Amino acid sequence: MNGAWNWIWKGGGIVLLAYVILRGFSTPLQPGLVTAAPSQLKLGMQTVTLTAAGQPFGKEGASLSEFTVVLRAGDQLLKTETQEVQPHGITVAVNVPGVLPSRALDAFVFTPSAGTLFLGNACFVEEAAKGDIPTSYVANKPDESTPQLGFSFPFQPNIIESIRNLLWHVPMWFSMFFIMGLGFVASLGQLRTGKVMWDLRAEAAVRTGLLFGLLGLATGSLWARWTWGAWWVSDPQLNGALVTVLLYSGYLILRSAMGDDDRVGRLAAVYNVFAFVMLVILLMVLPRYTESLHPGKDGNPGFNKYDLDNSLRAVFYPAVIGWGSLCYWMYTLRLRMNRIAYSLLSR
Amino acid sequence: MALSLRTLRNAWTVARLEWQLEWRQGHQLAAVGLFAVASVYVAFQASDQRTDPASWTAMLWLVYLFSGFTAIGRLFDRERSDVRRYLQWTADPLGLILGKLFHSILTTTALTALVLGAFILFLGWPQGAGELTKPALLVLGAWLGGLSITVTLVFVSAVASQVRAGSGALGAVLGLPLLLPQLILSTRLTRGALSDTPWAILAEYPLFLAAISAGTATLACILFPYIWRA
Repeated sequence: MNGAWNWIWKGGGIVLLAYVILRGFSTPLQPGLVTAAPSQLKLGMQTVTLTAAGQPFGKEGASLSEFTVVLRAGDQLLKTETQEVQPHGITVAVNVPGVLPSRALDAFVFTPSAGTLFLGNACFVEEAAKGDIPTSYVANKPDESTPQLGFSFPFQPNIIESIRNLLWHVPMWFSMFFIMGLGFVASLGQLRTGKVMWDLRAEAAVRTGLLFGLLGLATGSLWARWTWGAWWVSDPQLNGALVTVLLYSGYLILRSAMGDDDRVGRLAAVYNVFAFVMLVILLMVLPRYTESLHPGKDGNPGFNKYDLDNSLRAVFYPAVIGWGSLCYWMYTLRLRMNRIAYSLLSR
Repeated sequence: MALSLRTLRNAWTVARLEWQLEWRQGHQLAAVGLFAVASVYVAFQASDQRTDPASWTAMLWLVYLFSGFTAIGRLFDRERSDVRRYLQWTADPLGLILGKLFHSILTTTALTALVLGAFILFLGWPQGAGELTKPALLVLGAWLGGLSITVTLVFVSAVASQVRAGSGALGAVLGLPLLLPQLILSTRLTRGALSDTPWAILAEYPLFLAAISAGTATLACILFPYIWRA
């Protein structure tokens, strides 16, 4: 590799990461409904307030009549009267009849500029009898507007604003896999040729990969706390992640236990090959056969293709390349340190 | 790496040698047995004769795991010294590791009988488990789970034996993360065998355990010559 190319990929990686961090934190989230209060409705006239997250869904100077809220019970719509619109909330008056097809009500908010917002099982009516809604209570389906939101991230229930973690957590795991794969190849090279250079590469790769693995674990733990409510849960994907970090810590412990024994290269390579194959089994194969909370549980341990829309892709792909090149850069620095240390020791 | 008749004969000799030495140096065999039974007795005392299926399973596999460490952890101790030099001239590495793996199958069988037997003798069946409807699955699960543990430990103790100082603790440090998936599967299978979960749902766990055992054994066979050829 010549000097100019070095500048291009290192500088390019930094520029991409700067773009990812700026764009990732400054891009607004599409609006979406979060809660309804009160969630238990009585029969008769009352008011309900629906609260939203993300960017404001109201338009400046829009009139109340442009916002329509309907509640859906079963396959029938219940009409409401809009009373107040705030940037992140809407209050409606609703007259709840004594008979409903279902006790659970889904809320739809039709807005002039942000499209239709939806909240499943928003409210419950304990006292309602089962039956069709009386015709005077039934709403007609309003016209849907086309959202005009500009560049914004998609709204996902439960994840909400934490969707930005996708730009940190996932690329960090990708980088770890990439660099551990490099270490695996280096260890194979060590076993084939017995050359010290391959061992130095493997050591540098594992060390860098372990750092990214720990970062991925930390960001994942934060995300789990936010979406699942616990810092750690028993889950095949998480078990695999923990085992990965422990395995590669074992690699470093093995190396330091060998001290300056000249067989350290070969033995570490043997352990690394074994560990990597176990890792692939663990992270790729086992989670597919057991239930998981982690995204992509239906046979694919990544994000579902429907969860990534174009705005997120425009930041996610640069994030993958940016974190990957940072990881590789760190690996080359560590490798250089290893080479210098080796040449000093073998003088 | 060719699997010849000579290799298999070597493997058989190594396995027989291991077993004969175990019998003649009775103290090592007795040490494993004593460890297993004493641990089960501690579990019996600590649980105050009342166990639910989950804690029964947890204690069973903890006892099994550390008995496995005691039994397999010293498998390559003899090869540290002059015996190593002798074997390097006479046995090929593939034969040697195959012999050790054969030996681990025998160890697994003995350990399963010992640990499971001691558990049933002292602790009895866990409360709330109801009538045991799948005894074959319980025994098969213990044996297959044990096999996946001992096979991995053979490889780990081969690596750890190459380190001059403190290889006992090193074996545990290297082994535990490698054994976590096997233990997760084994404990689930045992819990399932004690519950009224139908056979069909649990059927994939023995298959997984067998596949992991076969995979680790193959990896150990491929990689061991590199450890041995020092």
